[in-house]
Amino acid sequence: MTLLSQTIQYALSGVTTGSIYAIVGICWSTVFLISGVLNFTTGEFAMLGGMLTWAYANAGMSLGLATGLAIVTSILVAALLERVVINPVRYPSETTYMLITIAAASVIKGIILLTYGTDARRIRPFLEIEPINIFGATLVPQVLVVLGVLVAVTLFLWLFFNHTLFGKALRASSINQIGASLIGIEIGRFRLFCFALAGALGAISGIAFAPISFTGYNLGFMVGVKGLVVAIVGGWTIAGTVAAGLALGLVEGFAAGYISTGWKDAIALSVMILFLVLQTVDLRKKFRKLQP
Amino acid sequence: MIPSREFPVNLSWLLFMLALGLLPLVLQSNYIISVMLMVALFGVLSIGMGLLLGQAGMFSLAHPTWFGLGAYIAAILSVRGLTSPLLGIFIAALCVAVLSWLIGAPILRLRGFYLANATFAMVVIAQIAAGQLPKLTGGHEGLLGIPYLTIGGFVFKKDLHFYYLSWTLCIACFWFCSNLMNARLGRAIRSFHDNESASSSLGVNIPRYKLQIFVLTAVMASLSGSLFCFYLRFVTPESFGFPLLVELIMMVIIGGIESIRGALLGSFVVLWLTEFIHAYLGKVLPAMTGEVDAIFFGVLIILVLIFMPRGLIGWVEPILNFSRRRDERL
Repeated sequence: MTLLSQTIQYALSGVTTGSIYAIVGICWSTVFLISGVLNFTTGEFAMLGGMLTWAYANAGMSLGLATGLAIVTSILVAALLERVVINPVRYPSETTYMLITIAAASVIKGIILLTYGTDARRIRPFLEIEPINIFGATLVPQVLVVLGVLVAVTLFLWLFFNHTLFGKALRASSINQIGASLIGIEIGRFRLFCFALAGALGAISGIAFAPISFTGYNLGFMVGVKGLVVAIVGGWTIAGTVAAGLALGLVEGFAAGYISTGWKDAIALSVMILFLVLQTVDLRKKFRKLQP
Repeated sequence: MIPSREFPVNLSWLLFMLALGLLPLVLQSNYIISVMLMVALFGVLSIGMGLLLGQAGMFSLAHPTWFGLGAYIAAILSVRGLTSPLLGIFIAALCVAVLSWLIGAPILRLRGFYLANATFAMVVIAQIAAGQLPKLTGGHEGLLGIPYLTIGGFVFKKDLHFYYLSWTLCIACFWFCSNLMNARLGRAIRSFHDNESASSSLGVNIPRYKLQIFVLTAVMASLSGSLFCFYLRFVTPESFGFPLLVELIMMVIIGGIESIRGALLGSFVVLWLTEFIHAYLGKVLPAMTGEVDAIFFGVLIILVLIFMPRGLIGWVEPILNFSRRRDERL
C-alpha cells in the first residue's frame, strides 16, 4: 500500500466514525439545549439501535422491518426514560440530572447484557454492492449510508428547528424555561419530545454504523463520551457539532493509523480537556498584559 | 481549638469505635473482616468524593485516577525494589499531591459539568495509559509480585492486620476532614458552594481553596489506593476505571451527599449490598454476577435521587445523635 492510499484509507475510516460522533453529538445538544438535561444515556441509544436491529433480524424479520422496529423501540425507551426517571426529580439541578442519567445508562447497558450476552454482533450491510476502489483504498458501501444518514439528519434538524412552528417554539422555550412555563407552555412535554427525538437519532446512527464495526453491549459508553466531546467543542450548535465530529473522527483515524490504535481514545479526550481549559483563558487579555 | 460538630468525642462515636475494634474478635470470620476493610478503604475515597461533590460543589470525578496512581506508584516502586513498601506509600502520596496540584491548577478553572467532563476524561485517559504501558505497569494482565507491606519489622499478611490498618486510615481521614470543615478551609469551601460571587466578594480566595481541597482529597485517595494494592498484592487497570467511579458515586449519593458521615455510611451500605446481591441473586440468575449490580444499583440511585435527595444519612443522623442534648442537635 502506498502512502497515498494509506492516508485515504485512514481518512475514510475517520470520516465514517466522525459522522457517527457528529450524530450522537447532535443528540446531546438537542436534549441539552432544549431541556437543560445532560443526558448520559445518549450513547446507549446508539448501542440499543444496533443491538435491537440485530436481535429483530435474528428473530427472522427482514432487515427493513427490523430497523424500523428497533427505531420505534428506542423511541419508546427514550420516552419511558424521560417519564420515569427525569420527570419525577423533585429538586432538579445539573448534578442530579447528570448522576441520574449515568445510573440509567448503566441500567440500560446491564439489561442488554443480560438479554443478549457479551458477544459482539454484526448486522447485514444495507447496500449489497462491491467495495469501491479509490487510489488503492477500499471504500465500503456502508460508509456511503453513514454519510447519507449524517446529511439527512442535519438537513432534517435544520429544517425542523428553523422552518416549522413547533421547532421554533422549542427553541424559543429553551431560552427561558420559567418564562415559557409561566405563559402556559408545558415544558415537560417539550422535554419528552426531545428525548424521543434524541433516542430516534441515536438509534439511527447506531444502526447505520453496525454493519461496519461490530456492535456490542459496551459500545455505547465510548460513543457517548465522544459525542459529548464533539458537542462541547462544537459549541452545542448543529453546524459546529458536525464540523467538530468530522474533525475528531479524522484526528482519531490518523492517530490510530500513524501512532497507535490503543492511544486513539486518549488522544481524542486530551484534545477535549485542552479545549475546555484553553476556553477559560482569555488570550487577548494575557497579551494585553504583556504589552507595556 | 473549636470542638468539631461532626466528630465529637461523644458516646455514639466511642461506641462506634469500640464496635469496630471488637468486631474481628467477636466475629472470627475472615469474610466479614475482608469486606469491612474494603468498607474502610472505599470509605476514605467516598469521604473525599463527598467533600468535593457535596460540600465544595466541585463536580470532580477524578477520584479513581488518584486511587489508581497511588496504587500503581507504590506497587511499581516496591516491585522493582527501589524503596520499601512503606516509603513507597509516602512517595506515591507525594507524587499524587504534586500531580493533582499541576493538573488541578488549570482544570479547576472549569465549572459544573465541564469540570465533570474534563475529570471524567482524565479517568479514561489514565486507564488507557495504564493498559498501554506494559513495560511499566504490566499492561492489561496487571502488575504481579507486590511484596508484603512491612512497618517497623511487622509484616502485614493477614486480613486482620489490614483491617486495623485501613480503619485507622479511615478514622484518621474522617477526623481530619470533619475538623477541617469547621476550620478556615472548610468554612471557605461551604461559603463558595452556596454562592461563588458572594463569597469571593467577601474576600475568599476561591481558586486557592479549591486547589487545596482538590489536592487534599487526591492524597487521601492515593493513600487508600496504596493500601489497596498491598492488600490485594495485585493491580490491574480495570480496577480504576468507570465501574469504580460509578461505585463511588453510588456511595456518595446513597449515603448522603451533604455529610461526611453519609459518605462513610454509603461505603458500608453499597459494599454490603453488593455482597448480598452476589450471594442471593447469584442463585436466581446464575449466569450473571458482576453485571446484575449495575442494574440494581442504577435503579437504587434513581430512586434515592428522586425520593431521598439527602440520602440515607437523613434517616440515620437522629440515631447517631442520640447521646447529645436536645439543644445541641439543632
